[in-house]
Amino acid sequence: MAGLARVVAVAAVLIAALALPARADKLVTALSNDRVSITSNFTGGQVVVFGTVERDSQSVSRPENHEVVVTLAGPLTNMVTRRKERTFGIWINRESERIRMVPSFLAIRSARPIEEVATEAVRARLGLGLDMFPINAQTSLSPPARTEFETAFIRLMQENGRYSQMDGAVEFLGADLFRAPIALPANVPVGTYTARVYLFRAGVLLSSTEDELVIGKVGFEQYMTVYAHNHGVIYGFATVLVACLTGWLAGILFRRD
Amino acid sequence: MELYLPIAELPMNVFMLLGMGAAVGFLSGMFGVGGGFLLTPLLIFSGIPPAVAVATVSSQIVASSTSGALSYFRKRAVDVKLGGFLLVSGVIGSYLGVKAFTRLRELGQLDLVIAICYVTFLSTIGGLMLTEALRAIAAQRSGRPLPVKRPGGRTWMQRLPLKVRFSRSKLTISAIPVVLLGIAIGFLGALLGIGGGFIMVPALIYLLKVPTGIVIGTTLMQTLGSMAFATVAQAATNQTVDVVLGLCLMIGGVVGAQFGAEVGQKLRGETLRALLGLLVLSVGIRFAVDLVLTPADVYSISFMSGEQL
Repeated sequence: MAGLARVVAVAAVLIAALALPARADKLVTALSNDRVSITSNFTGGQVVVFGTVERDSQSVSRPENHEVVVTLAGPLTNMVTRRKERTFGIWINRESERIRMVPSFLAIRSARPIEEVATEAVRARLGLGLDMFPINAQTSLSPPARTEFETAFIRLMQENGRYSQMDGAVEFLGADLFRAPIALPANVPVGTYTARVYLFRAGVLLSSTEDELVIGKVGFEQYMTVYAHNHGVIYGFATVLVACLTGWLAGILFRRD
Repeated sequence: MELYLPIAELPMNVFMLLGMGAAVGFLSGMFGVGGGFLLTPLLIFSGIPPAVAVATVSSQIVASSTSGALSYFRKRAVDVKLGGFLLVSGVIGSYLGVKAFTRLRELGQLDLVIAICYVTFLSTIGGLMLTEALRAIAAQRSGRPLPVKRPGGRTWMQRLPLKVRFSRSKLTISAIPVVLLGIAIGFLGALLGIGGGFIMVPALIYLLKVPTGIVIGTTLMQTLGSMAFATVAQAATNQTVDVVLGLCLMIGGVVGAQFGAEVGQKLRGETLRALLGLLVLSVGIRFAVDLVLTPADVYSISFMSGEQL
């Protein structure tokens, strides 16, 4: 039922957007859902970013010139990349580098390869693309120079399914209406996400929008996590009690002596 | 049927978890060991974060040792005083183990320390058990009985001060080796997610000369207490005990243990010890191979807290 209500809401946004008097090429976007609930049977999910381009009445219809890039970024986190080296015959973590202020999840979707949408300089300024997003909160006008550890970090995050960049993943349903489905893996980090949509024409950013998405555990899962964090000692005692009961019950059920 | 584990933050198949618990429970019932040294690596290999695996297995060991400890209590085959000494020192060891665990995780060396400890302890004890059992089997084949080593006789251990009398074990020994043993086992238990029974049992028999009939019950009492403490301590400091995962493993484990115990009673003691030795040794070798072989990827990433991705 909630799903149906969402579809209706999204449709309403899109219809309203199409009906509005247009001034300049602008973006109107919406998410298929603004909340992803993790329950006991969660094995991954999907969020769809919908949008429409609101046309300037002066500009002639040139839909083929519009380029849309959609990103979905998870909450910022701090990580460490380590490198193993053979020491006395065994492999040991030696050098490490802190990777600070990076999104815990990052999906980048576009219709055409992102390198063709905008120049490196434009993308560097926006931090758009796996090769451009800021690490350690460093933004620059030129493409960032990645260290070996940062390159390995991005590669490992991609292997883990947390970072992805795909072209051909933004689908135009009409001249102005597009949708970009983004799959969420089962191990998706919880938190507040930001979905950004960038509208380009001829390599120039015309407009961008931001929508918020909350991914969180609900019900039993949520209760357990909160309890484990806030009342660790009681949680521990309860677990021990459950364990003792299980063992005791088994002893009674299977008693042979 | 997939079930989302709230603390591990990933879905796992319930039947796989029950099956893993049952398989390890079967072996632990058959050999009379806790099985933590098998279950923890198994969970880590199947994708559970090592921190969650180690902490949750502590709770599973509580469940599997409860029924055993109760039945030994009923048979009065427990030296409560000796168990108490081991338990209190085990709790101290567990506390230190949880601290070391947290610190090593921050330094990014937890996996290495776990692997090295597994290699050292499992290979040594597995190797000793296997050679001893094979020698016994060979002696039986040739019809010559092995020279029986008389337990007892004055060793350096009997000359240590702080003598305590353990009447149930008919033993008067210094408290120092008892407490040191308890601390060491508690420390390793919390750090490695093992009950430590496979170290404790030979240590009690060969080092402290505790009568064999009392050893297992006393070990179970110590395991139960220090693992219960480790569970609470892990939950309080690292918040890594997953009760849903734990419950699946417990249920599988206690059921598997019953069938394992039946099979175990049909096998000969030497055969059983040889098989256990082989099992322990092969887990140790598995870890050693991982340490020596060139890894598929020399880079790894983890959170600041040290939790592996």
